[in-house]
Amino acid sequence: MPPRLNLFAARSAVPVVRQPTSASAAQRYAALSRPCQRSSVQSVQRRWTSSDKSTKELAEEQRKAESMPHVSEEAAEINNIMNKEKRCDGTPSSPELEQGTPVSEILSRDKEAQKHAPKVFQNQMKKPSGSRSFSTSARNQLEENKGPMSDAENAALIETMIGQITEETQELMPGLKYPAPASIPKTEHLRRRYSPVIEQFTKNIMRDGKLAKAQKDMSIILDILRSAPPPKINPKRPLLPGPAAPQLPLNPVAYLTLIVDSVAPLIKLLHARGIAGGGQATQIPLALAEKQRRRAAIGWIIDSSAKRKDAKFAHRVANELIAVAEGRSGVWEKRDGVHKLGIAARVNIGAQSQKKKAMSMAY
Amino acid sequence: MTSAFCSGCLTQLRQTPRAILPPPSTAVPRTAAFHTSAPLQKVVQKAKASGYEGPRYRVGANVKIKKKGRPQEKSRPPPPGERKALRKRIVLSNPNALEVEGMQELNGETMVDSRLRGSVLALPVPMIDQLRAVQAFKTSQGWSIFRRPGTVSRRETLEMGRLFDQISNESAGDRSSLKRIITGQRKAGKSVHLLQAMAMGFTKEWIVVSVPDARDLVVGTTSYAPLSEAQPNLYVQNAATAELLSRTATANKKVLSNLLVSQEHAALPTVKPGMTLEDLAKFGIQDQANAWPVFQALWAELTATSATPGLEKHFTPRPPTLVTVDAVGYWMQNTAYHSIKHEPIHAHDFVFVRHFLDLLKPGKGKSALPNGGALLYATSSSNNPSIYAFDVALKQAAARHAGVNPSSSEFPLPEPYSKPDTRVLEALNSPKPTVSKEGMLNVQELGGLTKEEARGFLEYFARSGLLRETISDEWASEKWTLAGGGVVGELEKLGRRLRVAA
Repeated sequence: MPPRLNLFAARSAVPVVRQPTSASAAQRYAALSRPCQRSSVQSVQRRWTSSDKSTKELAEEQRKAESMPHVSEEAAEINNIMNKEKRCDGTPSSPELEQGTPVSEILSRDKEAQKHAPKVFQNQMKKPSGSRSFSTSARNQLEENKGPMSDAENAALIETMIGQITEETQELMPGLKYPAPASIPKTEHLRRRYSPVIEQFTKNIMRDGKLAKAQKDMSIILDILRSAPPPKINPKRPLLPGPAAPQLPLNPVAYLTLIVDSVAPLIKLLHARGIAGGGQATQIPLALAEKQRRRAAIGWIIDSSAKRKDAKFAHRVANELIAVAEGRSGVWEKRDGVHKLGIAARVNIGAQSQKKKAMSMAY
Repeated sequence: MTSAFCSGCLTQLRQTPRAILPPPSTAVPRTAAFHTSAPLQKVVQKAKASGYEGPRYRVGANVKIKKKGRPQEKSRPPPPGERKALRKRIVLSNPNALEVEGMQELNGETMVDSRLRGSVLALPVPMIDQLRAVQAFKTSQGWSIFRRPGTVSRRETLEMGRLFDQISNESAGDRSSLKRIITGQRKAGKSVHLLQAMAMGFTKEWIVVSVPDARDLVVGTTSYAPLSEAQPNLYVQNAATAELLSRTATANKKVLSNLLVSQEHAALPTVKPGMTLEDLAKFGIQDQANAWPVFQALWAELTATSATPGLEKHFTPRPPTLVTVDAVGYWMQNTAYHSIKHEPIHAHDFVFVRHFLDLLKPGKGKSALPNGGALLYATSSSNNPSIYAFDVALKQAAARHAGVNPSSSEFPLPEPYSKPDTRVLEALNSPKPTVSKEGMLNVQELGGLTKEEARGFLEYFARSGLLRETISDEWASEKWTLAGGGVVGELEKLGRRLRVAA
């Protein structure tokens, strides 16, 4: 009695289910198929009954497909290859004969053959190559007729090149419709939209936390600087190097920055007690950072503007700024005073640390 | 038995001797005997004048050092009127700004030239005095940063220029008129649009009558009185009327001095036929009590199409008239004035306001502006009252002009129970005029500039040396977007904004 169950046939009978591509899919398939193994077997059996071929024939076919060919078949195959590859004269083919060797190669290694070689070959071997009387290099006739490229063509060529590059960048930076800007100006940021000096000045003229009022005053100040006649610079009190005086009003921000930076002190004096003894304070000069320097200058300018008689605060400050630019303001004296005291107090620079050292030594 | 002194009094014992023995002349105030501290303290306080007497009762022993604040401004306040003058000052030139090469002036040709769309046209120098006289410039507008005042020629400007040109070219006595209320968002250029209209009116030698700020008439800053005993519910503002006459006479001096009185004015016996209209206006300026009758007489002269029989030799055809009112929304509510019963007076009860609002309606028998011309009333969007009825009335006016039947369902009606001011709805209820050449009331909304116009406007900033940027289409388009779709006031802010090179 033939076995009721043929595993090979079962495999070929359910080809669709037998297609898990990955290992995990195979596992899944195995797990799924285990509980319903019986039903799948039954379906295979049903298939057998419907097919015309007998069970034996099917098994034979299957075995052929799976195993090595028969010995006689293999021999027939080898015979075929040997016979077919043979040349017409019956000698089996060799790689050299099949591909052929150039005559020049044979001539180069055989001195005897060189003598009997045709004259054309002999001539060729004597002359170094590339020295023939005519040129064989091909030229593009179209290019020759055109002559030098015109500007428009150059531009078009460059344009296509740029176009290619932009396309490439777009591929590199997906999501950008237009190329990203090279650099966004500092003042395009919402929190930093005003230049540092403008911002510091505005905050320093603010009273009672009213920033909007201070901003309005600042805009009036800048408008006055913009429309006032250019400053007549006093040669004794020159501003820092910058744009020429007649150009200043058209750039009020630079104008204001230049004024503030020109009167900004380099140092401040620290009143240190207990160094000299006797309750006397010792003046120690300290270098200031840029923002601190500007703060001192802005404070002086606002203080001295209070003495002016103009009706509005913004007008007083703006006129004081112009007075500073023209060297008329008392702010310059304040700066000079600080610098003078600082120079005199240079000797005290190390005093504080020396005192500390002495104190620690005593203990 | 308890002591008559409390412990608090005992602490004061040190000081008592002097207090107990006061000089016989000053009597210690007598109080109830149950407590002695009050009269004692009073005497001690009196004695303090002689010098420091040690720490007082329940006063902390800490030394209080008065903080030195910022030195107070000791300078006197500026003289009266100076601050206001500074606030109202209009500066029209900045000598530091660069002269723009090839800038065209506004004149009869350039105001209709569509090729100049998007470019800034300078206002002619002689006209600036006239525009100042009618107070066409506002302090909030940025005239002070440019070399000379100029306005951008936009689509609406060119369209208006064409209409003005057309009205001027019509034959005298058969001119059409234009009635418009100009609306638009804040900084859209409504006031400057009126200024451009006035400049065109002066170019075409029209008569320009202007109310620069409707608010001035309703906030309670001008004198007012009942019009007459017969009409106690109508009020007249003589000072404001005299100012209007003054503005009109100064700005239109050239035109008015060539026109003669050719009508009978029964109310004004001093006005003689044959005197110039300029002199007529001066009557009202000098005698403020007569300002309103003089204005009525002047208006009758300007709208006359023919002379009174017998005065034909004085009559010459009158030029078209331009009437502009800015911030007209203020005229659509109760004013700050009160009637004799202390009830608020509605703005429409003032003859001044009523006169200008009546012009919006079609004239009876003849046009409201028989010699042609234009009525341009602009709303304001900054610090303006929010009046629901006015909003509805504007929508209704626009619908009427579009031909929507007021009885149809598409006609905008106020919400039920919203209680709109019916007087406002009635004031703008202007049906289609029967006179052929009279224009119908329309509402024109000013939007933003187009991108091309915005670019031209920003180029003007760059060429004046105020803007340090390379103006490209891309850059201008970016600013156009930032300015809310080309709102011209916002573009100006961006143009004058100061940037630091990165």
